[in-house]
Amino acid sequence: MKTVEVVVLIILILALALLITVGFEHIMPSTAVRPPAEFYLYATYNPYKLREYTVMSPEAVTAIVWDFRGLDTLFETSVFYLALIAGLALTRRLLSERAEKPGHGLSLIVKTVTRITAPMIIVVGASIALHGHLTPGGGFQGGSVIAVLPMVIIVVFSVSFLIMRGFTTSKMIIMRSLGLFGIGLTAIALFLVSLIQGTHAYVFQNMIKPDAQTSMPIYIAGALISGTLWFFNLFEMFAVAAGFSIAFIVLMLARTLQVEER
Amino acid sequence: MSGETGIYILMAVVSLISTLAVYMAVVEKDLVKAVIYSALQSGLYTILYFLLLAPDIGLVYIPVAVGLIPGVLLILISKTERWEKE
Repeated sequence: MKTVEVVVLIILILALALLITVGFEHIMPSTAVRPPAEFYLYATYNPYKLREYTVMSPEAVTAIVWDFRGLDTLFETSVFYLALIAGLALTRRLLSERAEKPGHGLSLIVKTVTRITAPMIIVVGASIALHGHLTPGGGFQGGSVIAVLPMVIIVVFSVSFLIMRGFTTSKMIIMRSLGLFGIGLTAIALFLVSLIQGTHAYVFQNMIKPDAQTSMPIYIAGALISGTLWFFNLFEMFAVAAGFSIAFIVLMLARTLQVEER
Repeated sequence: MSGETGIYILMAVVSLISTLAVYMAVVEKDLVKAVIYSALQSGLYTILYFLLLAPDIGLVYIPVAVGLIPGVLLILISKTERWEKE
């Protein structure tokens, strides 16, 4: 019976695809680059002709996410952490992090493989985040790759193992708060500097603007960091990795206590 | 057959399989299997994102949709029930 359903579904999809192919010219949008996209692509790395609008980052997506449309991303980040705070508030009374005896976990082979792959996961996540202004990726991507590691450790070892190694929820909350603090500080860094110098700058400013001549460093030790983008990616990576880890640890701990209460 | 046509055919096949994975995830009564079908669909979507020149979304889609969300759902299933009732 299931086979018949699957065949019907395939025929339906192919018929729909045929319909779209026949009606191609009426459905498909224009392939031309739209004017805002054209400006972003032209301005994202253009130190020669558009020095006062460029972000100095060859990665247009990160440039849009953290500079051209930076406030949008800031509010997206706050939504994510508000959801996390709501989760923490719900499970507040269920949390008690006594050092219990760790569970058995999976077999020795799986544990050894996890020990080997753990540093690799962190390296991949860090490289995605710290090269976010050069290659596709960014803080959220790198942070969520790193956040896979606590989940793998919880599955392969146990949640007590993670807590006994010092990854308690309170430490994770401190790390997350430091990340958020860093994001906020990066956003107002130029403003504070210009306040001390007595000049004029904007909040969330990255490179020089026509009426604000202070700028974040473009290079550090000869490496392109694109001003605020590198710092935003770094702090977002810490905040996202710690945030997802909190969610997993809290979920697992809530379960342990529920079982105890019965 | 040019390379572009090959990529389009690959995209068509991947979309077809991902739709089937969605269907299997919906009708499956064993919720653990349903989560795995859902992760399969997400993995195929990652290929689509990559072929449609959105590697940024692809990079965030792999860990979140294949790693984190199935993890959360499996924790949830282990706390409740594995089998979906009629």
